[in-house]
Amino acid sequence: MIAFARGAAALVALLAIAAAPIGKAPPPPPYAGIYQPQGVDEIGAWREADEDERALANAPEVIRDEALNGYVRGVLCATVGKDRCAATRIYVLRVPVFNASMSPNGTMRVYSGLLLRVRNEAELGAILGHEFGHFERRHSLERFKAQRTGTDLLSWAAVLASMAPGYQARAGYNTMRWSVYGQLYHYGRDQEREADLLGLGYLNGGTLRPQAAASVWHNVMAEVEASSRARGLSKPRYDLFAFSASHPPSAERAATMEALADPQGDGRDDGADRYAKALAPWLPTFLDDQIKLNDFGASDYLIAMLAEPGWTPRLWLARGDLYRTRGNPRDLVNAAEFYANAIAADATLADAYRGLGLSLMKTGRPSEGRTALRRYLHLKPDAPDAGMIAMLAPAEPVEP
Amino acid sequence: MSVRRLRRSALLFAAVTMIATPVAANGYREKGKQVVIAGSTLRVTPPRDWNLLSIRPGKKAETWTLDGEQLNDVTWYAGIAADEPLVREISRKQKPLPKLKQSTLLVEIPELLETTYRTERQIGDFQVTGSAPDPFLGQPGIRFSYSYVDSDHLPRRGEARATLIGGKLYMATFDAPRTHFFDRSLSDFRALTDTATLS
Repeated sequence: MIAFARGAAALVALLAIAAAPIGKAPPPPPYAGIYQPQGVDEIGAWREADEDERALANAPEVIRDEALNGYVRGVLCATVGKDRCAATRIYVLRVPVFNASMSPNGTMRVYSGLLLRVRNEAELGAILGHEFGHFERRHSLERFKAQRTGTDLLSWAAVLASMAPGYQARAGYNTMRWSVYGQLYHYGRDQEREADLLGLGYLNGGTLRPQAAASVWHNVMAEVEASSRARGLSKPRYDLFAFSASHPPSAERAATMEALADPQGDGRDDGADRYAKALAPWLPTFLDDQIKLNDFGASDYLIAMLAEPGWTPRLWLARGDLYRTRGNPRDLVNAAEFYANAIAADATLADAYRGLGLSLMKTGRPSEGRTALRRYLHLKPDAPDAGMIAMLAPAEPVEP
Repeated sequence: MSVRRLRRSALLFAAVTMIATPVAANGYREKGKQVVIAGSTLRVTPPRDWNLLSIRPGKKAETWTLDGEQLNDVTWYAGIAADEPLVREISRKQKPLPKLKQSTLLVEIPELLETTYRTERQIGDFQVTGSAPDPFLGQPGIRFSYSYVDSDHLPRRGEARATLIGGKLYMATFDAPRTHFFDRSLSDFRALTDTATLS
């Protein structure tokens, strides 16, 4: 019960943080140096995290490209500072979802879906800084303790309520159960708010533009909206959240981050050019992973976002593939146009000829389609599907 | 509750369980006995004994295995029609799966399988490693191979045969872990699919 009271006091303190008037995020506290786990709970959590990391180090989905890993580490260091980032181990995973996480022992997982969605170093730094904030504040341990306290309390209350003679006690127990669950979810959301505050604190004190943190969430909201629209779902509400929501609503986060960003940092560099250059070797792969997820709205939004600085042959090709895969007759006509744009910009892009050929064959222009497919085979004679394409577009008979 | 009522409900429960068991159990596909796939017109005469999993990936699909689920799975897709997904959709609205289209070409079938796997399992690593024309069910067909890292982090390989008949897709896929299982049972898959006919 004392533990619960302590937990409640901590909760009130956190609520006070959340309710405090928002201004510029304060700088993070001085770095306390290398930390070792304290107490059975934390030692146990670190052991589990160590074991997970051993499995992760050999996992086939880890991208081991030294340049990409070095670059992501560089962005983390530029955000949280060299002393803090030194002990972190970063694993870039080829998983096409928008996510990143950090374990209590300092293992950071960065998903390829995140790298595809952020547009510059400042946006990537904002996400990595947020995750680092969870780590520095040891949030997972605190949450574990809060959950244990809450569920302990409920277990005892259940025993007492079952012994009580009246209906009132059991009704009281039910009310209490929802209240405890609600508080636990609330506690989780407050931890996210605290990590946002810390993340912005790092960004304000670093060299990157802190205003980028809000634009990440604006983009996420726009992407989800585009995805819902294409699927014929109602427009998502970003100002509401479910009882069990793990994070605060995106609209709230965007607004808070805008307020927390240091106005004087607005003129700083956001590193968009450096980011685009570092990601260039991986962009076609990450984009391909995304467009094959059958999420037309989100993929089309992401391609358009990537094309803001200018359309490249690869982006036209991706858009063509996206439309051809959806495969409505109108999509096939559009796809053929996008492939043609890709070919106009780069006449050696073999896959664009393949897409163009298939789209033309399906829209009643088979002879043009066969010409494009033959061009594909000429450019990529050892393509994995060369046999199938050759069947669709047999070589032209030699004139006698 | 009286003892008699208790006994009666216990008996009823046991009876219902006994009736329900054969429906829920995995099946047996005996060597040399012709069977029908998923209530369609696709018939197979297995050259060796196989197991049929009771969990079916979709209405028009069923999975066979030699050693157990996910160790060497042969999945039959029998007569998938236009605008239908290959496997059952978890949520038609929130997480729709790619559909076969009237205009889908045989050469695009590997892409359909790839996008279905990627969407269903949220995986990023899937490659079609080869494809070539190869008759299936006595019709012009495709045989293709692929490799992927599944959502359980295990690298797997696969081979599939497919054909389109009257706009409907008939396909058999073989999925097994890259280490040991794929190479060991690939010939069984090939021999099995050679016996498939359409009546």
